[in-house]
Amino acid sequence: MTTRTLAMQPYAVPDAERVLARARVGDPSALEAIYRAFERPVYNLARRLCRTTEDAEDVLQETFFEVCRSIARYRADGSLWGWVRTIAASKALMRLRANKYRDADELFEDAAPARRDDAGLRMDLEAALERLSPTARAVVWLYDVEGYTHDEIGRMMGKTPSFSKSQLARSHEKLRRWLGEEEPA
Amino acid sequence: MTHLTMEQLLAVREPDTAPGSAAARAHLAACDECRAELARLEQRVARLRALPTLVPGRDRWPAVRAQVQAERRWHRARWAGAAVGALAAAWIAAVVLRPPAPAPVVTPGDEIAAARARSAALEATLQELQPEVRVLDGRTARIAAELEERIAGVDRTLQAVELQRVEPRDARLAELWRERVGLMDALVDVHVTRAGRVGL
Repeated sequence: MTTRTLAMQPYAVPDAERVLARARVGDPSALEAIYRAFERPVYNLARRLCRTTEDAEDVLQETFFEVCRSIARYRADGSLWGWVRTIAASKALMRLRANKYRDADELFEDAAPARRDDAGLRMDLEAALERLSPTARAVVWLYDVEGYTHDEIGRMMGKTPSFSKSQLARSHEKLRRWLGEEEPA
Repeated sequence: MTHLTMEQLLAVREPDTAPGSAAARAHLAACDECRAELARLEQRVARLRALPTLVPGRDRWPAVRAQVQAERRWHRARWAGAAVGALAAAWIAAVVLRPPAPAPVVTPGDEIAAARARSAALEATLQELQPEVRVLDGRTARIAAELEERIAGVDRTLQAVELQRVEPRDARLAELWRERVGLMDALVDVHVTRAGRVGL
């Protein structure tokens, strides 16, 4: 999967070639080395997309179970982190769908209407990100931080690239307002 | 003057892929407000990327490892069960359900010699697989132990029959050797299947 290069973090497994060869034949210590190398970024991605720490930890476990099952089929035509990250993003989005968070997006929209008094709210960035609907937050995180393209995000979410673009624009409008970044009239 | 929308500002950050961004850039060059808005957008994205990495509250590796091991055990048991089942069916088809044989073309002595050679070859194959240094899961280990016990039983009977002088001694020996070869085949298959599953 082609990703915008700007946000690709250099997470890597030490002695990757040898570890990968051992992991492919099921060596538990090699599989654990891969887990240890990517545990934090996978959890961070999952936690930014999921609503609860429990969901994020479940995504972490599901991701590495899938990595262990599929590592023999990993073709090494991209970075190992890119491959693991795509599995993690996919698992997190599946969890959002399974929990019907998307259905609840409208409730989030209602809870955060575009009001004039929002301008004086001045949330911090963490709180503002948390206030976005799960779908909107996923788009912001995948695009702005992880560096996925709108095409890729649309595919992962089962939506169009335009959906991703409009979600991103609406989210930034909200973030700007909630962070008190609007220019005084 | 109509200012750029957020979608247009975002598109300006991707000049190679976003259609219409040339017009937006032209507007941007002439509009202080939109340039300030773009700068705020860039800063917001930079702050998003600088948010701290969240870490899991507990180590999930033991759970992942247990899940992987459980799946492997299940697969091995299925493979071993299928292999033993297939061999048993083949043995039944070959030994029990076989049609009445036409007039034998080989003597019992020839058949015994061939079965001995086949049995020795299987012993050598088993030796190469080094079953004593491998760790088997519970079900596979039970199947292997059962087969080994039956082979030992056949060996004891073979020894006893070889000491007998009564006829038809050779026919009985040939039958026992056939049974030994069948059991050895199954035992080798159990270890080959196991080795294949762990990629050895």
